Amino acid sequence: MRSSKDFFCCAGLAFALFAYLALLLGAEEEWSIAAYVLLGVVVVVVLVALDVFSTIERLVQSNERTCQVLMVLGTLGIIAVFRTDHYTLFLLGTIFIYSVAVLGINVQLGYAGVINFSGASFFGIGGYTAAVFLQHTPTPPLVTLLLGGIFSAVVGSVLLFPVLRTSGHYSALVTMAFALLLKVFLEVSEWLGGPQGLALPPFKFLGINFAEDLVLFGNEYSFYVKYDLACLLLLVMTFMFVQRIERSWMGLAMDAVRIDETAAACFGISIKRWKITAFTIGNFVIGVAGALYSMMLSYINPSNFTFSDSLLFLSILLLGGIGSIWGVIAATAFMVVIPEKFQVIQEYRYLIYSAMVLAMIVFRPSGLLPRKPRTYIAGGLL
Amino acid sequence: MHILVFNEERFGSMDFSLLLQFFINGCMLGMMYALVAVGFTLFFGVLDVIVFSHGDSVMVGAFAGLTSYLFCMYISPGMPVWLVTFFVFLAGMAFVAGFGMLVSRFIIMPLRSAPALNTLLATMMLGTVMREAVRLFFPDGSNPKPFPRLLPDWSWKFGDVLLRFDNLALFVAGVLLIVGVAFLINHSRLGMAIRAVAQDAEAAQIMGVNFPLIVLLTFAIGSAVAAFAGLMNGLYYNEINFNLGLLLGAIGFSSAVIGGLGNIYGAILGGFVFAFLQVIGTVATPFSSAYKDVFAFGVVIVLMAIFPTGILSERQSQRV
Amino acid sequence: MLKYLSRWSGLGSALCVALAFGATPAVAKDVVKVGYIGPLTGGNSAVGLGARNSADLAVRLQNADPKSKYQYELVALDDECKANIGVQVATKMASDAKIIGAATHYCSAVALGTVDIYHRFKMPVIVWGAVEPKITYGNNYPEIFRTIGTQEYQNKVASTFMRSLGYKKFAVIHDTTDYGKAHKDFFVKFLTEQGGEVLGIFGVTSEQQDFTTELTKIKALNAEVLYFGGLTPLGVRIRSQMDKLDLKLQFEGTSGIKSDAYISGVGAKLAEGTLSFLDGAPVEKLAGGKAFTEAYAKQGYAQPAEALGIFAFASMKQIIDTIEKVGPNRKALVTALSQIKEDDTLIGKITYDEHGQNAIPLMTKYVVQDGQWTIWEDSEYASGKRSLVKVK
Repeated sequence: MRSSKDFFCCAGLAFALFAYLALLLGAEEEWSIAAYVLLGVVVVVVLVALDVFSTIERLVQSNERTCQVLMVLGTLGIIAVFRTDHYTLFLLGTIFIYSVAVLGINVQLGYAGVINFSGASFFGIGGYTAAVFLQHTPTPPLVTLLLGGIFSAVVGSVLLFPVLRTSGHYSALVTMAFALLLKVFLEVSEWLGGPQGLALPPFKFLGINFAEDLVLFGNEYSFYVKYDLACLLLLVMTFMFVQRIERSWMGLAMDAVRIDETAAACFGISIKRWKITAFTIGNFVIGVAGALYSMMLSYINPSNFTFSDSLLFLSILLLGGIGSIWGVIAATAFMVVIPEKFQVIQEYRYLIYSAMVLAMIVFRPSGLLPRKPRTYIAGGLL
Repeated sequence: MHILVFNEERFGSMDFSLLLQFFINGCMLGMMYALVAVGFTLFFGVLDVIVFSHGDSVMVGAFAGLTSYLFCMYISPGMPVWLVTFFVFLAGMAFVAGFGMLVSRFIIMPLRSAPALNTLLATMMLGTVMREAVRLFFPDGSNPKPFPRLLPDWSWKFGDVLLRFDNLALFVAGVLLIVGVAFLINHSRLGMAIRAVAQDAEAAQIMGVNFPLIVLLTFAIGSAVAAFAGLMNGLYYNEINFNLGLLLGAIGFSSAVIGGLGNIYGAILGGFVFAFLQVIGTVATPFSSAYKDVFAFGVVIVLMAIFPTGILSERQSQRV
Repeated sequence: MLKYLSRWSGLGSALCVALAFGATPAVAKDVVKVGYIGPLTGGNSAVGLGARNSADLAVRLQNADPKSKYQYELVALDDECKANIGVQVATKMASDAKIIGAATHYCSAVALGTVDIYHRFKMPVIVWGAVEPKITYGNNYPEIFRTIGTQEYQNKVASTFMRSLGYKKFAVIHDTTDYGKAHKDFFVKFLTEQGGEVLGIFGVTSEQQDFTTELTKIKALNAEVLYFGGLTPLGVRIRSQMDKLDLKLQFEGTSGIKSDAYISGVGAKLAEGTLSFLDGAPVEKLAGGKAFTEAYAKQGYAQPAEALGIFAFASMKQIIDTIEKVGPNRKALVTALSQIKEDDTLIGKITYDEHGQNAIPLMTKYVVQDGQWTIWEDSEYASGKRSLVKVK
């Protein structure tokens, strides 16, 4: 931390951000949702116009650890505010899990440049793995999380050969074909529950049943508080993991592979090795997220893991800014909360929502919080 | 009317006539996929972009045709059928061509400098907007709509095979349209400009090619072909719905990529390959055809592994 | 949306004016919230919107009644026919203690995923459209009721009926969603029990446009009847393409195609003779049916009620009527609903069994005659004036 002034600035910003989020999440009426959404847009536009963002950026960059801790504290604060509101907590949990999954895609596309149009399929493989293991074996839920990740990575390796041989739109087609194939496969496979899907027992850890309401000091809170904490923990771990990759020589190698394969190969970087690594790590992360999500949902079926869900993951990544970790989290929050808040406009919600995303892509093509080019500054690699 | 009667003695001839019927079905399907794929490949050729709302342009074309049919019936119910047909095709193709030009001007061109994925996702969102807009604003648009039978329903029977005039006419029209587009691209000044832009946009501009205009015209051509596919879809099945572009877009894209992006003949080949994959998938799985899509897309993945840049790969091996 | 908003604001301002001028005794009624969940966007939205409007109609009719004890407010949510979104909106609705009861779900896969949530939050729901038996029979939750019959019963009636007409050889097409698949399973089960023969089963995805390959294969099977388990959009496509291939089989659908959209989609000529089955007594014959149709038309909704609108209406009306009796209390509502016996509704009499399933399953057989769904017994087909496709 540079100075106490910086600290208070950061804390103030974080407080403003989370207060706004809390208000938006709590809004129920048509007019209040419209007002808050409008307020958000106006504030962002004004800040951009006054060029305050670059100041904020510098502030955040030079107080990185403080800001990260503040973000986690702020999130915990939001969970505390909505401690009895099941629905909002469920939405928060969804945001955390989706962020984890999109961070997995970020490793693939954002770093190594391996395109993946079947994110939701790997998410689903994680979920179905967890469901099958929990139903038929006494595997502890924590282990099934890992199994979900491992299975998803293993199935993904089947795609490695065509994905490595192709590039650009051609590998997009390979993963797209896989996404369409997997959904039909899940639907017609009786032993996986067919179109009706599978029910899952709740997540259990250290004897705590995550489906029972949380009782603290005699007060009863929503059971989703537990899930939110677990999801948040997974998100923090993934965040640290992905950030470590980005800032290590691995990230450097992957960046080189993405930006210029020929040049990277000339410097002795193995294209195949890094693409395989990124694709496998990404699918593992997505699979773990899928396993936890399906336990939180307690019921999964093929309609959750369609091609359009994969597109949702990619849209989140693009909207946040490809390669940008904070961008991913911000965009996930946006993409999960807005369609839900649009429930008030009923059958028109998808029309308005898609038009809104379309406008955002056209007017801000590099995403909400684009990833900065690497710079060398005193004290090391940022 | 003729009802097919099969028995043991005629098993041999049944097999053959069945195969022929499957072949005819596959050809119609392949033509529709090829028409959609041609648009994908044209857009990719000039701008290196994938326009995913193309499938929904097909749907909009069909609905524009239906609207103009209803309009014709409203102003003059006694209008001769050939004139109505002409008007339906003209209105449908013109409307979608105009729409395609707007899309290229206001969505595709502004995103030129952004990563290719942006265009892909932006146009996917656009596709959703188009789909939902038709569903909500076309009267009772969430239900399937009957499409008028504008073509005479003559049919011929060759043994057990039924050949319908409308199928034949649509197929021939499709062939003519594709030949026309290929001729336009390969043998006209406009086509030369399009090819020049496809090879190197900057060099083409230096040589005096009006780049924005060429892009607009390419989008107009590709979209009009999509509208034709939509009208063909309507006349062939006599039914259209707001969702028809969803899978058609994915299949058209797959076809264009299988054949090799940027190559019209590749798109046609890809369309027919995909159609026959589906037919074979259905015919070959003995009792349940539910796995046929698993089969078709599985083969697509294998094909991509064997031909990483499409069956008829691009002429320039490296596009930057 | 504007229409929707203006209607509500219109209602609001009318209420304000009424209160301000003291035209009615200025005792504001307590507002009671009731819920509706169904697909409002995507491929299944036609049915979902019709049912939403019908539930809305039940609420409005009640509010227009001066004798009503409470002022009702409908909270309608979109589940997109996706299990995860369904869980999300069900959690939203069930955890909102102000919402007393709800009419929910069209897609069985969504309903199966959400029953646990309603049970957890002790919220009474009446399932208006999802027909998978396990929704009520797969659990012992007292909160789950269902007005519509199960697929099992529908197919029992269907196969018995078809066998009684003398048909023996069947080809089956079903969509691979839970709806189509379960229909296929039950129909095949009952049909083979009753001596029918299934020559071929074809699963198709709900987005599929082209069925000529499946139909050509069916043509070679030499069946008498084509049974289709699925919804209107696919039904229209299959029936139209049957004609293209000159496939002259008796076409038999499920409740999923019993809609006006089916007839307008394929045209009256082709639709002629199509068979379908729908739960409940024939609306046209019940006293309330005509009133419902008229009231629905009067509200000027943008979408037709569709076949299942009456179920959403009946479910919502039952919730409201029961709240009027026992007050806005979830627990009391659950108890009161479970005691319902022979309640006269728009869809016939309703009695709930111990699983909350409507135990008076009525099934009406329909045939298309001159562009209208006609009750089989009243049709010229039953009287022998016209005939279906002949038994070979």
